[in-house]
Amino acid sequence: AEAPVAAFERRVLRSAAPHHYLRVRLELPDGGARPNAAQFKQLVVSALRELHGEVGAALPVDLLTYEEKTLSAILRVISSGLVKLWSALTLLGFYQNRRCAFRVLQTSPFLLALSGNSRELVL
Amino acid sequence: QNILIVCFSVGYSAVALNHVIDFKEKKQEIIKPVSPSELFPSLPIVQGTSKRIKVLTRLTLVVSDPSHCNLLRSTSANIRLYDVIAVYPKTEKLFHIACTTLDVDLVCINVTEKLPFYFRRPPVNMAIDRGIYFELLYTPAIKDSTMRRYTISNAISLMQICKGKNIVISSAAERPLELRGPYDVANLGLLFGLSESEAKAAVSTNCRATMLHGETRKTACGVVYTVKKPRKVEEEEATMPACKKAKTQA
Repeated sequence: AEAPVAAFERRVLRSAAPHHYLRVRLELPDGGARPNAAQFKQLVVSALRELHGEVGAALPVDLLTYEEKTLSAILRVISSGLVKLWSALTLLGFYQNRRCAFRVLQTSPFLLALSGNSRELVL
Repeated sequence: QNILIVCFSVGYSAVALNHVIDFKEKKQEIIKPVSPSELFPSLPIVQGTSKRIKVLTRLTLVVSDPSHCNLLRSTSANIRLYDVIAVYPKTEKLFHIACTTLDVDLVCINVTEKLPFYFRRPPVNMAIDRGIYFELLYTPAIKDSTMRRYTISNAISLMQICKGKNIVISSAAERPLELRGPYDVANLGLLFGLSESEAKAAVSTNCRATMLHGETRKTACGVVYTVKKPRKVEEEEATMPACKKAKTQA
């Protein structure tokens, strides 16, 4: 008797995820007023506009969660726009004439991957 | 010192402290570098490995005249104390000299103003062969929007000539807020026109190669190598049958 022929289908997908997710934290050392969610989104869009112009500012970016206490947020962007968004966040230096810095903590094409951070493991 | 603490927390495994010497002013003496052990009694460990973070010292010479380069050839004791030496040429001739003959590890590329000279392929190729790396700074791009344009335009013109090889991206941060994480800086490399692997190498492998280049420059004085001489086997074999022939004939 012959072994049954296994039937399977193999699909190879390259970069199939449509969105990329970024967990970022804004560092504002001086104890001034903290931005709320709308102002944070405005800051991200203005950073994109400064570096990549109107086309960059039109990039579909969504703010999924925002914590005002720690100034950390999760952003979602189209995969093709990841480099633009990330470079715009890196080169942002000022928020309302106050010095600030964006620290990108995690980035992943899957939202579930942002839940655990191996760098914060306490061994 | 605060900057270094932020560096460690962001994830760098080796940091170099820069000291800039400008030759336009009258009297310039090379002072001894600040020893890292004075700043930190014990350096923290790199995340994920068991080695300690390295803090190196680095000297940048701003040269606008060929006579300034004599300092490099002089055996001043203080130059040898620095781990990495970089040169910042201001004219085309000096760029050519720096790439071809000067004994340095890095050539800094000006990002704050329009380059007064165009890059040409021969000196850049010679620098790549010699193991010299070109350095780009990213902190001016954070401070000012005009400098952002100059940074990107100078970087792109450099990429066109050197095709992305031998690039190091570094920050000239004076405050802890001007520092960015290693992956952020690698992403900036993508903006400048590097490919993904080249961009990551600009932050990691090329920097390590520069450190090793500095170490070899400090320690190596001469090289001894042996060459295998080809053995003369054919002559011996040729003599043997001749003797045998002589015996049989006799």
